[in-house]
Amino acid sequence: MSRKRLAAALAVALACGAAALAGSGTGRGQAAARAAFPTGPVHLTMWWWGEQEAAGAKGWLADTVRLYEQKHPNVTIKTVLQTTDGLIPSFKAAAAAKKGPDLQYFWGGIWSVGDAWAGNTKPVSDYIPRSELRHYLNIREDTWNGKVWTAPWYVQPSFPVLYRKDVLAKAGIAPPRTWSQLLSACDKLNAKGIIPMAGGIKDGWFGGWLFSLIGAQNLRSLSDLLAAVSGEKKFTDPEFVAWWQRLHQMRDHKCWNNDINSLQLYQGQQKWAAGKAAMTITAGSDVKKFVGQVGVAKVGLMPMPKWANGPYAGKLGSTSQTVGITAWTKYPQVDADFIMFMHSPKRMKAWYKITGAFPADDRFDKSQITLPQQRLMFSLVTHGAPYLENFIPTELDSKANFGQSQLLLGGSANAEQAAATTERIAQRIRLTQRQTVANFKSWAASFH
Amino acid sequence: MNVSGAVAADRPHQRRRVRLGRLEPLVWIAPAACVVLFVFGYSMVELVRTALVYQGRWAGLANFRLTLSDSEFRTAVEHNARLLIAVPLLVASALVLAILLFEALRGWRFHRAAIFLPYVLPIPVIGVIFGQLLELNGLLNSALRSLGLGFLAVDWLGQPRWALWTMTGVIIWKELGFGVVLLLARLLSLPMETFEAARIDGARFFRLHRYVTVPQLGGVIAFYVVVEAITMVSWVFNYVYVMTNGQGGPGDATVVSELYIYQTAFQYQAPEVAASAAALLFGATLLLIILFFRVQRRTGVGIDD
Repeated sequence: MSRKRLAAALAVALACGAAALAGSGTGRGQAAARAAFPTGPVHLTMWWWGEQEAAGAKGWLADTVRLYEQKHPNVTIKTVLQTTDGLIPSFKAAAAAKKGPDLQYFWGGIWSVGDAWAGNTKPVSDYIPRSELRHYLNIREDTWNGKVWTAPWYVQPSFPVLYRKDVLAKAGIAPPRTWSQLLSACDKLNAKGIIPMAGGIKDGWFGGWLFSLIGAQNLRSLSDLLAAVSGEKKFTDPEFVAWWQRLHQMRDHKCWNNDINSLQLYQGQQKWAAGKAAMTITAGSDVKKFVGQVGVAKVGLMPMPKWANGPYAGKLGSTSQTVGITAWTKYPQVDADFIMFMHSPKRMKAWYKITGAFPADDRFDKSQITLPQQRLMFSLVTHGAPYLENFIPTELDSKANFGQSQLLLGGSANAEQAAATTERIAQRIRLTQRQTVANFKSWAASFH
Repeated sequence: MNVSGAVAADRPHQRRRVRLGRLEPLVWIAPAACVVLFVFGYSMVELVRTALVYQGRWAGLANFRLTLSDSEFRTAVEHNARLLIAVPLLVASALVLAILLFEALRGWRFHRAAIFLPYVLPIPVIGVIFGQLLELNGLLNSALRSLGLGFLAVDWLGQPRWALWTMTGVIIWKELGFGVVLLLARLLSLPMETFEAARIDGARFFRLHRYVTVPQLGGVIAFYVVVEAITMVSWVFNYVYVMTNGQGGPGDATVVSELYIYQTAFQYQAPEVAASAAALLFGATLLLIILFFRVQRRTGVGIDD
């Protein structure tokens, strides 16, 4: 046997061994990983985000690290809060250098599995027992190839409609639960000089929200959407044009503030808080803040009014923000142990108390939730729908959902044009990001 | 040091000089050229190399073809080209203002500072201020409505048909100060006798500046044109990024080639396509610079003029 062949055979044998270990799931490989908790000094770094949407998270994380370090005196954990714009590029740079954090924050879905495809993370399901993981909310969106790649930390209910009971009552309108009720409410509110729904789309994000809230309602399964991304279906198919048509209807009925195109999302929401608008859409983590501003008795919460009969219609989208173990960390078992510590009952209780956001764990004692709007929201997210925006490539989201929503709501495009542009962008992504598209195909298999 | 060495040091003019002839300038600039070659040469080689591969495999010109076939890239380049319209406007406005200030307009020092101020303001500050000022229900439109000019109140940055022109206006406002100060500095260094002689010969304001001032400013104007042309082609990223929240919206109404490259490389994870777009943009900028030097050589107008 030549040297090359011998090396190749060795490599194959090693790969098979590694695959066998990885494939053993909760078996010996995982048990060995857990058993090998190091006793020497361990220094970990965690790059995270979340203070921006769950105020107080920084203090909670500092406390959690302190308590963990007390429990394991040989471990020190340094936490680095990232900016919204810096979170992804910093991690991409770290991944290119194979040097950086041991624990990294990821949004759910594509943000999580995308780095798994790139080989930047180790599956948490190799280090956290399935008996523990099954309690984490929304792990399905972070699952690919039979493994869970990042561990849910806290839930982002995505996204509830908040309505002002006082404003609607003044106009003599009941909260709209169906699409026709919504359009009729828009007409009536406009007639009384009240903005029906407040939002801002200048920064684009709102387009992704609207796609998820409206576009999920007629889908039969997530695999339909993933099939459209990979080219097995088209975004010009009627099922994908339908949501643009609903958005067009909203424009025709003047459901939004007239300056939606020149305001950022949070600027738009302030119109609702100021009592100028009857409804708005907000991040679940912001509900407590808005209810606090307006008053508990004046605020109602509901999912987006229903226009279709798909399995996700009438449900609140639910996604979890997650923590992953990087591919280059020396101590994955310690990383995993710290993640599990974050899910311990006392830490979950403290998390909710400090931030008002829900821990992504069905063991969380919901009796702690006192705000009625949050109680309702928690019950909605535990039986929620997948959050669609997390299942498409970023480029498609940004160029199609963000960009075309701006044009449609600004009156410069109609539903069919928006759908055609979406398909054109998708076609280009299929050309330029061939590997990503192939990964989407294999990801779709997880949802059949 | 020995004695003969000390003597030699005292008489440096007697040292034997190595004659390199035409190569001598090259020897003198060699160290700097090495640094420049390393800094820029390496990045250029790496840029072109990245543009010619796909996931580490040789792809030939495929990335360039992909870039050129992308309607959004073409739109971005078209927007850069449309921004070039701002260059003659900038030059004309800067010239008029510089001459007015040169003619010792009352309070010219204050006016000079006021005109130059936008140039020193950070672009993010400008972006935030104009972003709010130009909202549909912002200060500008409120003022227009209160003056009975509501028909002029449009969604300046929210409507695709207006967004790029609005952006152009903001860029002109910011960049104008640089041109005014540049031209004014040159004007103040010109010999006053020429102007006095022209005035004695009966030249009034327009003729004086048309036939005396402007020809003497040729070099500075050419420099300003090139700087601003390069700005419009490859230096407007900050304006677009800040004023449209990094989107180039509404839709793709304000996407420019730099934003396209940034988004493609860092947001959409397609570095090879971004590299090919960057190489094309570099080529366009290089073309502008070569054009400038050729015009300069042909007309004989230099920056020193």
